[in-house]
Amino acid sequence: MAEILLSEAEKAFIHHGVQDDLRCDGRTRLDYRPIILETGLVSNASGSARLRLANSDILVGVKVELASPLPDKPQEGRLEFFVDCSANATPEFEGRGGEDLANEICRFLQRSYASGDTINLSELSVLTGQQCWVLYVDILILECGGNLYDAVSLAVKSALYATQIPSIKVATMDGDQPELELSDDPYDTKRLNTQNIPCVVTLMKIGNHYLVDPTPEEECCSSSGIVVAVSGNKKITAVRKIGSGSLHPDSLVSMLKQTGSEVGAVVNTILMKKLLEEETLEVSQKVGFMR
Amino acid sequence: MLTSKVFLRKTKRGKVLKVVREHYLRDDLWCGSELCKKCGQENSDVLDKSPVSSSTLCAFPHYIVIDTNIVLHQIDVLESPAWKNVILLQTVLEETRKRSTNNYKKLREIMATRKDSFYVFVNEHHKDTYVERKPGESANDRNDRAIRKACSWYQTHLEESQKGTDKKKQIKVVLLTQDFKNREQACNEGIPTYKVDEYVKSLKDFPDLQEKLAASHSESNNENREPLYPEHLAPTRIMSGIKSGKLLQGVFHSSRENFLEGTVSVEGQDKSILLQGHASLNRAVDGDVVAVELLPEDKWTSPSGIVLEDQEEQDPGDEIEKEEKLLIDSTKSKDRQPTGKIVGIIRRKWRQYCGILLPSVLPEGTRHLFVPAERKIPKIRIETRQAVTLSSQKIIVAIDSWPRTSRYPLGHFVRALGNIGDKDTENEVLLLEHDVPHHSFPETVLACLPSMPWMITEEEVNRREDLRHLDICSVDPPGCTDIDDALHFRELSPNLYEIGVHIADVSHFVRPDTALDKEAANRGTTVYLVDRRIDMVPELLSSNLCSLRPDQERLAFSVIWQVTADAEIQKTRFTKSVIRSRRAFTYAEAQCNIDDSLQQNELAKSLRGLNKLAKILKKNRMDKGALQLSSPEIRFEVSTETNDPIDVISKPMLDTNSMVEEFMLLANISVADHIFKHFPECAVLRRHPVPPASNFEPFLKAGKTQGFTLDVSSNKALAASLDAAVKPDNVYMNTMLRILATRCMMQAVYFSSGTVAQVDFYHYGLAAPIYTHFTSPIRRYADLLVHRLLAVAVGADVTYTELLNRKCAQQLCNNLNYRHKMSQYAQRSSVALHTHLFFRHRVQDEDAYVLFVRQNALQVLIPKYGLEGSIYLKGNDGDSKLDFVYNPDEPSQTCGNVTIRTFDRVVVQVSLDSKYVQHQKIAVHLVHPKIAGLSVDAIEIPKTDEPRTKKLKGGK
Repeated sequence: MAEILLSEAEKAFIHHGVQDDLRCDGRTRLDYRPIILETGLVSNASGSARLRLANSDILVGVKVELASPLPDKPQEGRLEFFVDCSANATPEFEGRGGEDLANEICRFLQRSYASGDTINLSELSVLTGQQCWVLYVDILILECGGNLYDAVSLAVKSALYATQIPSIKVATMDGDQPELELSDDPYDTKRLNTQNIPCVVTLMKIGNHYLVDPTPEEECCSSSGIVVAVSGNKKITAVRKIGSGSLHPDSLVSMLKQTGSEVGAVVNTILMKKLLEEETLEVSQKVGFMR
Repeated sequence: MLTSKVFLRKTKRGKVLKVVREHYLRDDLWCGSELCKKCGQENSDVLDKSPVSSSTLCAFPHYIVIDTNIVLHQIDVLESPAWKNVILLQTVLEETRKRSTNNYKKLREIMATRKDSFYVFVNEHHKDTYVERKPGESANDRNDRAIRKACSWYQTHLEESQKGTDKKKQIKVVLLTQDFKNREQACNEGIPTYKVDEYVKSLKDFPDLQEKLAASHSESNNENREPLYPEHLAPTRIMSGIKSGKLLQGVFHSSRENFLEGTVSVEGQDKSILLQGHASLNRAVDGDVVAVELLPEDKWTSPSGIVLEDQEEQDPGDEIEKEEKLLIDSTKSKDRQPTGKIVGIIRRKWRQYCGILLPSVLPEGTRHLFVPAERKIPKIRIETRQAVTLSSQKIIVAIDSWPRTSRYPLGHFVRALGNIGDKDTENEVLLLEHDVPHHSFPETVLACLPSMPWMITEEEVNRREDLRHLDICSVDPPGCTDIDDALHFRELSPNLYEIGVHIADVSHFVRPDTALDKEAANRGTTVYLVDRRIDMVPELLSSNLCSLRPDQERLAFSVIWQVTADAEIQKTRFTKSVIRSRRAFTYAEAQCNIDDSLQQNELAKSLRGLNKLAKILKKNRMDKGALQLSSPEIRFEVSTETNDPIDVISKPMLDTNSMVEEFMLLANISVADHIFKHFPECAVLRRHPVPPASNFEPFLKAGKTQGFTLDVSSNKALAASLDAAVKPDNVYMNTMLRILATRCMMQAVYFSSGTVAQVDFYHYGLAAPIYTHFTSPIRRYADLLVHRLLAVAVGADVTYTELLNRKCAQQLCNNLNYRHKMSQYAQRSSVALHTHLFFRHRVQDEDAYVLFVRQNALQVLIPKYGLEGSIYLKGNDGDSKLDFVYNPDEPSQTCGNVTIRTFDRVVVQVSLDSKYVQHQKIAVHLVHPKIAGLSVDAIEIPKTDEPRTKKLKGGK
């Protein structure tokens, strides 16, 4: 991640601000920066979302494709994540620079979606053992402005929410080859149940306090933190510690509790509310990048 | 402005793709009206400023917008000049293209020829008329909405340009559609809308147009009726059925003899599948590609053997008669064959059919039955108000649909050809029916001809071998103007002769890839009708420059052999040459010259030499197993004034006929050998497949009734057993057997040598391992191709790509085979037509022979006219039951003490059955042996009280 050079005095200032619950930009410790979200802006994809959290800019596209299910899960479809760190985001991503970060995010997403509680993969099954939908989730990081995990997870959830899976009928033939019939109406699609899809919350520990949605400067000041994936029904599906410092078990537990029961749930509900709101908006013209 | 169209597509490999196309909307598309001041178009005169309405339905000036279903179902109506100021929306064009390429092509043709009446408005790209598909809306509904949107846009757009004009004189846009829902919604939106039939009927200047309205969608009340036929399966189910082997795909052929029977020939199966009864035939029309389901084996039957014509003389309505009466249960019969039923139609092969209207009890009515000239095609129900005028005319009708509730397919009238019985009309009919291209040659083709006067240049002579010094002559039938072969003979030494066959060098004039070449390739062959010849190449070539006329220098392609006195070939060579024929003999003249020993000139001597050699050649050929088959051939003596036939003569067979034939065969075989050697991949050859044993069944059966065991194991054995099958008391019997044998044969076909294994090159009839056509390039395109190949092989010409491409060659061959077959049918029909004309004013008693004995009929052949007819065994007055006992094993029919078997000689009375003026046919009645109630009296005995003859004599 982009390293920012800070002087000791600046670090001390940030420390004190966190202590007094008044961060440099005026937020409290549990405040998020403003988020701008738009779904369905990539017409070629089955579902897409663009999310801007302060300066972090994420574009997610979901492509659905038919494939054969994995032999050990004949009744389930699957999700595949792919993160691409654009060199536009920071010069360090150039070449293979962003690969490590991309893999890290990718793995974490996979882990947080792996829990059976998050998404019902059997919804994606078309024909047991023969055909299922695979959702390829392509995540493009366009700009890095801190708190990437949260931003990516929210964008992915929104994109999946907007994903339209073509409805397909299985006209079973008496031979062994199944014939799939595609509806000719492009609006005849089904949507995934995204209610329980996890949102990721990053908690940074600065001094004795922890804060959400750290800016890059704040990330610099912290030696450790955790990234927690919280599903819609308030279950924690994945946890990961970041930073070089250590965490006391007591503070780990209290951080998990705080995020799990509080921040994660709130983020989830607000996101769902906003997505629903967007859908009912009258304006059909997409904003995209023309802003 | 940019929008995008999104749709989902399934790829062949089963992937689902989301396709997004950019779609730009514009604000500068013209409306095309002369009236409009806003669009800024120049010279737009498609949509008139003040259109005149000839419709009584909407008397106000209007433009017409048509819906897709009109283009799809009423394309023939659109051809009429009645249509003016029509706006064609892009939505309609695109939908048409998607649904029916045929109609789309036709529509484009109409648009091209009538540019001033049809305006294409690109509504899909206009910013005000583009509509996007809404959720839950079907593609069809969306298109309907787009059409309505365009209509209302036009309406407001035109209103703006004619503010201030009188309301009544304002131009409106009228939407024509057959769709009820669309009409309703258009009404709600304030667009004047009508059904196309309403509108067409209201056109007071074009009363005939409504005849052309296709019947299918005039919203008849068919839905409520009980379906008469089982339903067809959906295409996907048919496809899967065929894939899994449950259903079979094949071409449906309806039976000529029994309209309730048909067969489906499935590729890769030697026995075709039999179908019986309305339900099994299930609305298939001859030629359709259908899906068949086989019945369980215990339900298999055999062909019923009865002759059954759909003989309703009156319109039966939509009832299906009891089939039990018509089809006899033969599940117990011995020679059962696979039987099935049609469950779906894969591809319709409907075309336009020639025929006549069935006289109706209610001529003023609109629903009539149409009887196609082709017996294999079912009658067609059409709607017309002109039945009275059309009843005496030959007309063309197209099939539109065949719903389950209708006994007959529904169609519509396309055009009238002319009066029935009119020879020109009938000729036109038979040319159309057999798809013979007979239009006059277009300018582009005539431009390829050499200019007259034409001379052979010195340069050309130098390039060729000069054979002008040879005594060459031609032998042809009398009146022949396209002489394409000539012969010469000369003695080199006492035991060595030189013979030459000289063939007109048509390939010199018809160069590859010219318009002339393409036209000739399409025509494929010259068609000889009784009173007319339809040339393959323009007359200048066929009757003049290529024709090897006497005493004229002509270009030729020569095959020259050196042979011994035993007709053994020592040397063969091929060369392009210049010749001068000394004389054009007719067969009879040549024969005279040979027979008359006083004639000692060079030509007579040559002819004698040729004749001698030909006899040896023929003997050799027969020894190898060549067949001598027979089919009745006759010639009409045509009156010079009326062109009507006045007498019939059988074509005589002279020695000279077979002499010429022999040398032509020899030339063909030599050439075939040579071109195959040089072009093993792309030589154009002709093969005659060995007929499968099953083909011979009726022939063997017939032989058995006469006490002959016929051997059909090889062509040689067949030839021998045919020669042996002679009965002193029935001279014609042998000819009859040969006629039957001819019918067992396969069709000889052209092919490209690269497409067939060499063992299959065999020509069965001629017993030649390889054969082609070389000797008639004026009248056959295949010969022309062979000429080109041979010219390249002997270094006299250059190749071109298509010539050496095996695929191209095969495609050409396929067309030639088709044209060849069709021309034969056309020639046969022409003879039949003239037989008709011949019998128009006469009744004659003639000798006839029984060809087949059927369960309810005798089929007889009258050799004098080459005519075949059926004698129905049901008595003159129709109802009286005759006690005929049918013995299927022999087969024979016995009534009282008279037994009739195959090949029996009978005397029949031939006349023209003119009970209906429109539907004349040759009627054959038995005279001898006498069977009370069936036979009629001989004509020689004057019988005034016989109503039939009276009628005939009176009714001309």
